Amino acid sequence: MGSQGGFGQSKEFLDLIKSIGESRSKAEEDRIVLREVETLKVRLNDPNTPKYKLKEYIIRLLYVEMLGHDASFGYIHAVKMTHDENLLLKRTGYLAVTLFLNEDHDLIILIVNTIQKDLKSDNFLVVCAALNAVCRLINEETIPAVLPQVVDLLGHQKEAVRKKAVMALHRFSQKAPGSVSHLVSNFRKKLCDNDPGVMGAALCPLFDLINADVDKYKDLAVSFVNILKQVAERRLPKSYDYHQMPAPFIQIKLLKILSLLGTGDKKASEQMYTIVGDIMRKCDSTSNIGNAILYESICCVSSLHPNPKLLEAAADAIAKFLKSDSHNLKYLGIDALTRLIKINPEIAEQHQLAVIDCLEDPDDTLKRKTFDLLYKMTSSSNVEVIVDRMIEYMISINDSHYKTEIASRCVELAEQFAPNNQWFIQTMNKVFEHAADLVNAKVAHNLMKLIAEGFGEDDDTADSQLRSSAGFVAIRVESYLRIMGEPKLPSAFLQVICWVLGEYGIADGKYSASYIIGKLCDVAEAHPDDDTVKVVTGIMKIYSFEIASGNPVDLLPECQSLIEEMLASHSTDLQQRAYELQSIFTLDARAVKKIMPMDSTCDDIEIDKNLSFLDGYVQQAIENGAQPYIPESERLGISSISDFRSHDVHEPSTHALRFEAYELPKPSLPHNIPPVLASSTELVPVEPSYVIDIPHPTSAPSASDTGSSELKLRLDGVQKKWGRPTYSSPAPSSSSTDLVKVQNEAPRPDSASSSKPKTRDSSYDSRKQQTEIPPEKQRLAASLFGGSSKSEGRQPPSQKNSKTQNHTSDKSRSSKASAPDTAVKPSQPPPDLLDLGEPSIASSVPSVDPFKQFEGLFDFTQETTPASTGGVDGASKDSDFTSLFADMSLSAQSNIDPNPESNGLGGSKVEPTSPQLNKGPNLKEALEKDALVRQVGVTPSGQNPNLFKDLLG
Amino acid sequence: MIHFVLLISRQGKVRLTKWYSPYSQKERTKVIRELSGMILTRAPKLCNFVEWRGYKVVYKRYASLYFCMCIDQDDNELEVLEIIHHFVEILDRYFGSVCELDLIFNFHKLPRAQAYYILDEILIAGELQESSKKTVARLIATQDSLVEAAKEQASSISNMIAQATK
Repeated sequence: MGSQGGFGQSKEFLDLIKSIGESRSKAEEDRIVLREVETLKVRLNDPNTPKYKLKEYIIRLLYVEMLGHDASFGYIHAVKMTHDENLLLKRTGYLAVTLFLNEDHDLIILIVNTIQKDLKSDNFLVVCAALNAVCRLINEETIPAVLPQVVDLLGHQKEAVRKKAVMALHRFSQKAPGSVSHLVSNFRKKLCDNDPGVMGAALCPLFDLINADVDKYKDLAVSFVNILKQVAERRLPKSYDYHQMPAPFIQIKLLKILSLLGTGDKKASEQMYTIVGDIMRKCDSTSNIGNAILYESICCVSSLHPNPKLLEAAADAIAKFLKSDSHNLKYLGIDALTRLIKINPEIAEQHQLAVIDCLEDPDDTLKRKTFDLLYKMTSSSNVEVIVDRMIEYMISINDSHYKTEIASRCVELAEQFAPNNQWFIQTMNKVFEHAADLVNAKVAHNLMKLIAEGFGEDDDTADSQLRSSAGFVAIRVESYLRIMGEPKLPSAFLQVICWVLGEYGIADGKYSASYIIGKLCDVAEAHPDDDTVKVVTGIMKIYSFEIASGNPVDLLPECQSLIEEMLASHSTDLQQRAYELQSIFTLDARAVKKIMPMDSTCDDIEIDKNLSFLDGYVQQAIENGAQPYIPESERLGISSISDFRSHDVHEPSTHALRFEAYELPKPSLPHNIPPVLASSTELVPVEPSYVIDIPHPTSAPSASDTGSSELKLRLDGVQKKWGRPTYSSPAPSSSSTDLVKVQNEAPRPDSASSSKPKTRDSSYDSRKQQTEIPPEKQRLAASLFGGSSKSEGRQPPSQKNSKTQNHTSDKSRSSKASAPDTAVKPSQPPPDLLDLGEPSIASSVPSVDPFKQFEGLFDFTQETTPASTGGVDGASKDSDFTSLFADMSLSAQSNIDPNPESNGLGGSKVEPTSPQLNKGPNLKEALEKDALVRQVGVTPSGQNPNLFKDLLG
Repeated sequence: MIHFVLLISRQGKVRLTKWYSPYSQKERTKVIRELSGMILTRAPKLCNFVEWRGYKVVYKRYASLYFCMCIDQDDNELEVLEIIHHFVEILDRYFGSVCELDLIFNFHKLPRAQAYYILDEILIAGELQESSKKTVARLIATQDSLVEAAKEQASSISNMIAQATK
């Protein structure tokens, strides 16, 4: 064997390796390596170095580079070595270049020739070495140089060569899909290769090709199914077995391909059901590789046209994964669950506790995967819990890549499902505070718009839900004033803060204008120029509101100095704003009111693109002898120019310098095709901005003032600067309607959640058995999954019961289950009744501590307990239950304090019973175990009293 | 697809690297630093997967050596874990004993960079090319014998003497 070290190697090399191996610190290692680099530089450049020595040096160079040092000085020697006739040296050369060089390296061009030659070699090892290099080094430009030879090699007698040739072509198709498009038939042919290794290799390019265009390969579905069947039936040589599984890697690849082919294709899917089912059954779930196949099968099932039997098998497999102790399997279980809930959302409910365990697991990977799952199953009823969790996690990590992702997910979920504006704004606040630089700038606009709308509607409609918003804005003003004290704020967040303070800072009269302006000035000092713009706009608003309301205004000294500083600023934007601010002081209240109307963010601003209000002025000017305006395109009159202008609307003027290259001359258009018209219409959106930039003539102050202020707002669309961003870009408007919708729908989650406590109660007995599960976890489960079940379009429990009773098949069972439910509901021990009494807080269960209100409600429960039990007592077997519960409530009463733990559990246990209820006959089996265990407490049997006594007494 | 294979010792020393996607030398150093920081600090019972820059890194520890492979978001993690194991089994078969892995990758045993050649027979262009241990072993053996032949042919007299005196 080649394992004998030092074979033909110098002692020097071994010493080097040893000393590096024994080095105590990175610094020591670096010193050794640097010394080695110097030696190698000298030796490699010495023309007298014998070749076999050269080989050793190249390998030493590999070693140096592997340790992170620059070895580029020796690359050329590696390249030279590939030219060598000696196989040993050639192989070393190839190994070195594949490790040293990237496909875009300049030296590649020197290797292509050698590769071409070696691909034709008689020695298949040389060919293999060359093919390895092809896979690594050939780039888009050099593909044509080697392509014909590689294609020829597909028919090579050695399977090792055929295999590598297939992989090389696969690489080509990744690099330049066009280059091998004519070779697809070769890949198909290679599927029938005698050697399973070649067949397995051919699956790689086919997978990519199918992924790119499924329809072209639909006919292959049958073949793949056949191959998979043969593989699963162990028809391949024994040597492909891996841990007693027949060719598992090929199976996995085939399953991947099948899932592509079966996606959204019922007919193709049907061909696959049997084999996928077989594979799932045959999987050895004790070995890793068996589980890998199982997992791949679940993925496959989740993308095929749904098949109940397979889905059930998949759900079972997921359950096994999640119950496993291995984190790897849990991870895969969560991932598989994420895929499956798209088809069958109910599956998640069975595993809620497992999911929550994963969420709280110290393992970050598992946690993130679980967040993926939660993200997918978010609905309006559990959004608060999920987003809160996400934000909590977001704050705790500092991996910016993932932080960005989770921040944008929070924003997305909040925008989509927010139960009310208040929550939305609070959430956004948090996101901004911790990750403002990572979220899209648009989010800030949406947030400000929402605040404005909330505020505006409050004035007009006094809608009960929004009534709080004025107060709320005040709270925000306060909280922002506090936040502003922080040394450095993210720009986007600062924008929101300044805007809110500007618009609403003095709205409720709590803070004086000078106080807020003082604060703003402080902020302006602490932040760079770009942010100052935002601050100044805020200041300007406050001053103009003050002036407009007729209050005496005095310019604060710090503001005065700020303005002076800005007047001298290099930024024209800042300068302009400073001038504007100055001029506002010279205006009277009426004019200011026109410019800066109070709380008008939500008003529609009509933009008169034709500037008709200037007509009178223009008329007058023309009468005075001015030239009438001729549109630029007409003025130029040359069709070719207007033609090109129409391609580049944003270009301010044809006379300006062009920095881009001119387009290729177009085939000349006939003159009567109206390029003029086209260009003029296209120019319209830009025109207003020109107009604004030109200082307005002061002749008609009031008119032009309103005009300019309106138009200036419009400008923001072009410039994306601070201002009244609500109107700045057209895009947000659509999302605004979304938000309004959410707002309108807000009562819905409430009503849903009000029914929630009932569901929760229904399962309270089962929770008794599981006191060992921490209450927070259970509450979390309830808020996550209980909510999701509802949002998924399932009925609130009362309807659920009636529905289950309508269900025919296993009536006895379901009615059995539901009967105790109804009974239990009213006769809850005090803690749960508490929840009943407070449906409003139910939606935010985890955030509110139910025990706090608990004591106060105690008397109430005493009263209601007998009454309500009497009412619902209809169900046959309940009588002993109610008495039992009566006892319990008493006992619970006597020792409230020791009990809170179990109280807390109240929130959690909805799920164990509820899935069983709504599942119906379909998934009965899967749930039976679970339900049975948990139901022991509910099932009317003699043991119950003992059970409860144990738990409560 | 597999973007790179990385072998690091428990002390964070690099034992083998193979890059299937283009990374500059600077990026490579950074990647190694980042990943060894992430992986070496993980507690033993956690999953063998780490999310990293939108990719997933699958790693497994053998004795004091961590084998890491970086894969795409939608690859099968468990499969890759087994590819690692497949590689290790083949190394084991070739070099003798797994417990000497660390030694092997210390280059004590492979001044000829044999592990690279073996890896080249298992993975190519970031995909698994051969899942049969036997085939890989046979190929490597053929290479070895041919290489030996070539070496003898080309070796200098001094080398011959060195061999004879061994």
